[in-house]
Amino acid sequence: MTGIQLILLTGVAFISLYFVIRLKKKLLDLVLLVILISTAIVFIIWPELTTALAKKLGVGRGADLIFYTSILIFWFVLLKLYARIRLLEKSFTQIIREDAIKKAGSPDSDKLTDIK
Amino acid sequence: MPDQIQENSSNKIVVIVPAYNEEPVIKKILLEILEKGYTVIVVDDGSDISLKQLLNYLPVYFLRHQANLGQGAALQTGFDYAKKLQPDFIVTIDADGQHHSSSIDSLIEPLITNEADIVLGSRFLSKEDTTIPFAKKIVLHSARIINYFFSGLMLSDAHNGLRAFNKNALQKINITENRMAHASEFLFEIKKHRLRYKEVPVTVAYTEYSKQKGQSVWDSIRIFFDLILYKLFQ
Repeated sequence: MTGIQLILLTGVAFISLYFVIRLKKKLLDLVLLVILISTAIVFIIWPELTTALAKKLGVGRGADLIFYTSILIFWFVLLKLYARIRLLEKSFTQIIREDAIKKAGSPDSDKLTDIK
Repeated sequence: MPDQIQENSSNKIVVIVPAYNEEPVIKKILLEILEKGYTVIVVDDGSDISLKQLLNYLPVYFLRHQANLGQGAALQTGFDYAKKLQPDFIVTIDADGQHHSSSIDSLIEPLITNEADIVLGSRFLSKEDTTIPFAKKIVLHSARIINYFFSGLMLSDAHNGLRAFNKNALQKINITENRMAHASEFLFEIKKHRLRYKEVPVTVAYTEYSKQKGQSVWDSIRIFFDLILYKLFQ
């Protein structure tokens, strides 16, 4: 086992521990996570598998294949996050707006002192 | 307190002034507008220090966002509140001293003659002045083209805070872009609801203060991305 394999496996171990602690109640998430983690572990231990797969798909090296798919996944996650943020923004805008309208102060003509 | 709202003639023209940390200049523009006899709604967009104390002695409607949301959000809050006052015409004006209150009359004119549902101020239509900084010109002209690309409307000025519209448009326009991309969203709304629009020349003063508060080139890049996201998630 090479140094990089050790580093990556430790990383995957920590990440999965974190997710398992947080998501242990949702079965579907857990299944998805197990699939992802096992793919990662398999590819880390036997990196030549990615090369074989890459060759079949017309990409030169296994590392390149992983790089390209990562970009796709990254964009997907980014868009999902943006959509979530916009949704959040919409709801707190509504709350703040309702609050502002409820507490609105009206002009009181008695206060009219410093015009002019 | 909606029950305090009186329906009288002074509510015919309601001027909405969104403000964020404008203490040094807001009072001047408000006094000018009030002197003209228009109803004023100030929307304090979560200023660090509430503008309430400062405006306490002015006869204006005062609304405050508990957190800073952006100018687009402040305007829509103003519109929602204005609906309760049942105005004939609504005007939006910036609080930073860039706009003159005298522009309000020329904005409203096409509404009174029923030539348009919404009137947009343009700093490029006026012959006289104007000392618009060169970098600002480039940014504004690129913004026009981007707006045309997104909305199909080619205007002479892309981001001018001076606007006026009638009660028909007030019911229809709904601004969801909280930050500066709202200026383009007005165009989308015009297109979507088939509102009749017109541009009128207005002057914009570039004071040191407003330059500091104004938008930079970086902001326009942000607006561009906000627009793409708006189109994506609409």
